[in-house]
Amino acid sequence: MTKTTTLTFLIAGIFTLSTSVLAQQQTESSEQDHAQHDHSGHDMSHDAHDHSGHDMSQDSGAAIDHSQMDHSDHEHDHDVDHSTHDTHAMDHGDMHHHHHMDHDHIMDHEGTMIMGQNLDTLPSSCRSISEEVEITVRAGRKYSAKFPGTAFAFDQQEWRVKPCAKVTFHFMNEDNIRHQFMMHGLPKYLYKYGMFHLEVTGPKTVSGTIIVPGGDDTYLVHCDISHHMEKGMKAQLVVGNGGTDIPGIPGLTPYNINDTYEAENLPTLSDKAEQSKMVRQITQFTNDNLQTYGMMLIGLLLGLFCIPLIRKIPLRRNKENKS
Amino acid sequence: MLNHIFIALLTFFMSTAITAQASLKLPKTVKVDRAALTIEEPCDPIISPAWREAQEIEGVKIAASPGCSPDNPAWIAAAVKGTNNISMDTLMKTGLSPDAIIKTDDLDGDGDPDRIIIKLEIMELNGKSPDFPGLVPTFDIAPGIQPGAWVFAPKTSGMSTENFESVRANPLLRLPSPVIRVEVGDIVQIVLENTHYFPHSIHLHGVDHPFMHGEHGGQDGVPQTSERELMPGERRVYQFQARQPGTMFYHCHVQTHTHLAMGLGGMIVIEENRPNNWLQTLNIGAGQVRHPSVAVKEQYDQEYDLHYHAMDKELGDIIKKYNDPRLIARDMNQRYDATDSTEDYYTLNGLSFPYTLRESLIIVEQDQKIKLRMLNSGGELIAVHTHGHHATITHYDGVEHNPVAQIMRDVFDIAPAQRLDLKLETIDDGKHSYGEGDWLIHDHREKGITTNGMAEGGSMSSIVYKSFLNGSGMPKVSHFGIDLSAYFTKEYYEGRYPIWQDLDEWSSLGSPGEREGLTPAAQTSLIYAFIGLLAGLLIYLIFAKREQIKQGAVATISRLKSPKGSNQ
Repeated sequence: MTKTTTLTFLIAGIFTLSTSVLAQQQTESSEQDHAQHDHSGHDMSHDAHDHSGHDMSQDSGAAIDHSQMDHSDHEHDHDVDHSTHDTHAMDHGDMHHHHHMDHDHIMDHEGTMIMGQNLDTLPSSCRSISEEVEITVRAGRKYSAKFPGTAFAFDQQEWRVKPCAKVTFHFMNEDNIRHQFMMHGLPKYLYKYGMFHLEVTGPKTVSGTIIVPGGDDTYLVHCDISHHMEKGMKAQLVVGNGGTDIPGIPGLTPYNINDTYEAENLPTLSDKAEQSKMVRQITQFTNDNLQTYGMMLIGLLLGLFCIPLIRKIPLRRNKENKS
Repeated sequence: MLNHIFIALLTFFMSTAITAQASLKLPKTVKVDRAALTIEEPCDPIISPAWREAQEIEGVKIAASPGCSPDNPAWIAAAVKGTNNISMDTLMKTGLSPDAIIKTDDLDGDGDPDRIIIKLEIMELNGKSPDFPGLVPTFDIAPGIQPGAWVFAPKTSGMSTENFESVRANPLLRLPSPVIRVEVGDIVQIVLENTHYFPHSIHLHGVDHPFMHGEHGGQDGVPQTSERELMPGERRVYQFQARQPGTMFYHCHVQTHTHLAMGLGGMIVIEENRPNNWLQTLNIGAGQVRHPSVAVKEQYDQEYDLHYHAMDKELGDIIKKYNDPRLIARDMNQRYDATDSTEDYYTLNGLSFPYTLRESLIIVEQDQKIKLRMLNSGGELIAVHTHGHHATITHYDGVEHNPVAQIMRDVFDIAPAQRLDLKLETIDDGKHSYGEGDWLIHDHREKGITTNGMAEGGSMSSIVYKSFLNGSGMPKVSHFGIDLSAYFTKEYYEGRYPIWQDLDEWSSLGSPGEREGLTPAAQTSLIYAFIGLLAGLLIYLIFAKREQIKQGAVATISRLKSPKGSNQ
């Protein structure tokens, strides 16, 4: 008896004591606790934040774009020799008036441009020119018609040539705006910025020639006017057996990043099948009801079919009980 | 008995262990280390300081522009002479197409060209790429702020980005759409080459233009009255010969409620006709006019174009969300509800504070007369306040106000699409000016100084006296102990920087950290768990010792009974 009473008193005592100690302990231990906490918990979390931030910006920035679009270390400054440019040219009607800069950058007064042309220098990987090809490239809005979800396109999305081919492109811009035929990834010792570029305001044609390298490779061709490539004006030149396909070429390769599409509530012809508004309202009413009643009927039938199945279970049990 | 004491001690230690975690003190302040911020240079590093100086290119006198990001002087030379009348060297420095601005034919024989052809393209900024998870070409209106936008851009040559490595937009592709300047009597053709994937048009708001032109057809820019939408890949000429001068407005009139807000609007100034009046046909990026017209120079020391605009983040986000033009059209035309929209970005000349300090400072000296042309292309009325100055309204919507009745104010309310011409006089008389300083000029609707809700941002800038400008062209504020560097970080506008943390040494208004140890809620629940534990122990003890309890009870009862029994 004495044991139990002391025990209950002890437990009660501990409870009251612990609550009072609680307060004391708090004030005593708080200083030390703070010191430790600050250095571990918070600073760490901040570090983590900042690093993630950095990575993010790199991901979304130039780094990825660079790797995927084969934009190597080019620069945009044009080192040009403007010897033949006529400063006081007031006439802007004739098309023969070319402003030559250096040999691989030619531009006329309307902005028709040939950059990175190579008529005669063999790439180091070639002993001789394998074939001479002429390719006509048409560019315009109308070529995007066969690719839903695009706005501009070339007439073809892929051209194939042999390694070491001498290729002359006739770039026919059929729109009334500027378009470009810009090729990337060519050897930089031959092509400034590794690039061959034709640009013209249509409707007009500009031609330029290159000699492709000797190895199998696939080169990006696009129009770099804001969102022309993104909206369909993208293609590839396959040399020999080609290299890796370029993503996002209409009808050829999928986008890296796709939009999400969903069904929409668009008016359809069947909405207009019944001419009379009244008739339509009534049929709509009955249609709605038919749907609900129809579903009900299906449910009923299902239920009826299921009855024997359901009945079998308790029957068996009853039989078992009986036996 | 020893057993029970052991249990009691155990529970005691457990309770102290729990309570030791708890703290009476509030969380400590966490100070954000400045080194953890991505601090940008106050001045854009790609812009050469040599551009600030007064200079002469192609015989064109270009005024000094002491701010830190002045216009490319080659742009100004090309805009004054025309891209057809400058050397290839200068042209290559502009990035403009050789047919961007064509100036010919001195029809009235007064020494300046009277046929002006201006070619505009339509460019997208900060649109979604299907190739990589990012935007292209990018244009920041403030650190880290990239609203989806469309602009009229002068016809360019070459790429839409700075170079092959960068996704940053070519400097010619920017907000706002450029300011156009032509003279009364000029035969002007604005040639719109629709390089965008949507239909567009140009409406010449306030400009004297015929509703129809013999060759070019209807040309009011309105798809419901004068013409069909100009489809992608098409070109249209808008031709006029203005009879009246004034500060006017041009904008796309296709789905105007979204297209204007997206950035398809700019200022167009019809200058008074004067002999030898070679105008700066385009003021790219608006701001200071470094080659003002003859008429302006007659009356003023300086001229500034101030284009106020506002953008809804949700609208711009549509082109950041989709690449397929059909989805963008659906969301903009059928789903976006302008009546439910709110403006999030307020810009002056296409930029928000602190970038306004780079290129939209009004840099003045004492006793100057400065012409300010203001346009509000946002969706709401704005109320621009000039600190330290009262300015005179000389023109409303391009029409001169009766000189005798002209008034001075320090708040200028400008309705959507409205233009005001102001005469700012830096006369230190307590009325025109209170003296030299770095005086704010800002939209006094307080949200006008925010960027997606974060102040200080928005269209705020300064009227700053040269004596208050530092060597790099930024307002001199360090001698007041002011440090603007936090504004030049994207973290500031992401709302991740406690803006008052550096006001005192101990960061009294810094960011509180997480509560250390246990939260009050966790403490109480632990106390309840402890009570439960005790109750369980009690029940266990009663159950285990039930025989002893019984015996004890019997014993006490018998003890109580026995005296009674003895009494009996």
